[in-house]
Amino acid sequence: MEGRGSAVNTPATSRPVTRRSKSYGRSCVEAPSYFWQTPGHLTVLKIPTSREAAKSQIITNKVDPEHIALLVKNEWKLSYVTPLYRFRHTELKSYSKHLSAFIIAERQQGVAVEVGLEAGFKVTFTSVLGLAETSEDAETVFIQIQSKPVFAAAADAPKVVWRGWLTCVNGDPEYLRALPPDFVSLPLFCTSGPESLTTLVKSWFERAFDCNFGSLALNSTTLNWLAALWTGCHPTCNIRYLKLAWSLPSQPPLDVSYTVNPQDAWELWNSIHPEESTDGRIDIKEVQSFMNGLETHFFRHFKIYLSAGKLVKVSTALGSAQLDGKIKIGNSDYITTLLTMLTECALLKMLT
Amino acid sequence: MDAQARSVLYRIFRRIPNRNIENLLRRWNCLSADQLRALDYTRPKWMIVEHVISFCEESRLSLKHITNLEMIYHIETPDQGIWHACQLTEAQDDAVCVELTQFKEQFKAHLHGVIRHISIKMKKHEDEAIWIRIAWGDNFNKPNHLKPTYVVHHLHTSYVFISNLMAKHKIFLFQALVIATKHGSIKDGHLSTKSLTAMRDLLLRRYQQVFPNAHSRILQERNSLPSHPCIGKEHREHEERRHQMACEVFGHGPTPKLETAVYRLETRYRGNSNYTLSEKEEFLRGVVKFSSSSLLESLRHCVTSGMAEGPVTPLLSAITQRGRNYFVITDKGPGVSSQASAQRA
Repeated sequence: MEGRGSAVNTPATSRPVTRRSKSYGRSCVEAPSYFWQTPGHLTVLKIPTSREAAKSQIITNKVDPEHIALLVKNEWKLSYVTPLYRFRHTELKSYSKHLSAFIIAERQQGVAVEVGLEAGFKVTFTSVLGLAETSEDAETVFIQIQSKPVFAAAADAPKVVWRGWLTCVNGDPEYLRALPPDFVSLPLFCTSGPESLTTLVKSWFERAFDCNFGSLALNSTTLNWLAALWTGCHPTCNIRYLKLAWSLPSQPPLDVSYTVNPQDAWELWNSIHPEESTDGRIDIKEVQSFMNGLETHFFRHFKIYLSAGKLVKVSTALGSAQLDGKIKIGNSDYITTLLTMLTECALLKMLT
Repeated sequence: MDAQARSVLYRIFRRIPNRNIENLLRRWNCLSADQLRALDYTRPKWMIVEHVISFCEESRLSLKHITNLEMIYHIETPDQGIWHACQLTEAQDDAVCVELTQFKEQFKAHLHGVIRHISIKMKKHEDEAIWIRIAWGDNFNKPNHLKPTYVVHHLHTSYVFISNLMAKHKIFLFQALVIATKHGSIKDGHLSTKSLTAMRDLLLRRYQQVFPNAHSRILQERNSLPSHPCIGKEHREHEERRHQMACEVFGHGPTPKLETAVYRLETRYRGNSNYTLSEKEEFLRGVVKFSSSSLLESLRHCVTSGMAEGPVTPLLSAITQRGRNYFVITDKGPGVSSQASAQRA
């Protein structure tokens, strides 16, 4: 068994690393030891202190524009999911049928007849090729649920009532390589639609692939990164505004929204992290300095400590991200950067 | 009853919860006692409205009565829509002598003189407020009663509160107000809220103000929790000082319920000490918006709890001192733009 240490700020070695997935009939549970041992390897993830600058990519070169259109402009709720056991990209059609039957069966269980009950559900699993960046990433899977009201005419087009997608972009390569052979990791799950359907889809996955879902809330560090990364994109892609929203715990709570002129925001960022800097990597200290600068400027005017509250939302024309785990993708050119960061958040949340 | 009258009626009732309909109809006093008794308020709203319409047609009520109903409804529930404050300036010598009848006549005369089709209704409320409802038409079209402008003015104050005024009618209304109140001009007060009550309370200073004085030992009678004699508060003095500063700016007790304040910042960035930002300081423009269910209370709490540093910055104190919630801040003035209005009366 290979052991792997970590050189991380947070004392990851002082806590046992647990995997949420259940055992699979084999007792891979050793006597209480410091680390869970999966059949194979110890895995510990590092929290990065520096990242690559956001790169623009004409993503439509790699991915079907129709698929991209599905991802952009909706608001997505985030969850993470543990690796899927025996998930095959070749079986998508059969999964569509099974999930559809599952939903219909669940819906009919013990439910009194409702007027307008949607009896017909059609589920489509699609593979979205091209989003995966490395050879370790699994291809993205997009799921769409359409329904037809019971009394609709035959010619009525079915309405899309729920959408979701599982993805892995630039996932930690060591972690992915360390997965046992039958497992596929698509840690980031984005959903849009009624919560009841989301729950049904999740239970089906849990039963079919022996995995676990959890809600993925973002933290302020992630939001800070996004603010800096997106601002850095301004020269190549007009971000149109940098809007930050804080919530202060006064009584009653006070919401502060600060919309910064994009050019001025970029000038500030550029003074901290010059564009021509050597290796194109951004350090977290620069991000903190940038946010600090904005908060200081705010303080100079209003004498209010924004640090007494929390940053709840960051948005630009490239997209938006909220603390409670909701995102919106505005511009597909930078989708890879955003998804890389979110994949990382999902893996971290899952493993700690 | 024509289609327009019916539409106006629908719009009024659409917003009222069923339980308030009875009171409103009673106050309106246009339906007979029998008709009122016949209405069943447990029915769905659309049924009630249909009934009321049929009663109105029985009694041959016209648009005039319906607009009266609308006005009564707005006076009863003034906190809807968005209200904007304007301030009259350059009062002429005889401005204080303007009587209600004189005001009414002059106002109506001017508007009827400049617009051929217009419908103006005025009512004086018990609290001395004059309510004006204006349905605008133009030289070719009859007045549009679905989009009336409401104006509220307390005679002999310099404030006028306006709701739902279109840009193209602004100049006519402003001219009429200026002439009827015998002032030289009128300008934008930079204050807008959903709640007329809050706006009035703020501008007419109808809240409990606190004035700085040498012996500022006030306000300890507020509900401080009974503390154990063995417990001493380390920062009691700081706490009291913060509390005093907060109340001087935002008042004591319930505050006018403003919801938002917007600041347009056009100032330069002064820099962190960490990074040597170039000597030439760049602009860092932006817009800051504060929102809360009761903004002044939130701000006051920020100051008392230490989330905001005291003394309260002039940008925030200007909300109550100058009675506005929209500001453009530049580097020139002492914090508040030179656009700031003249001292309040």
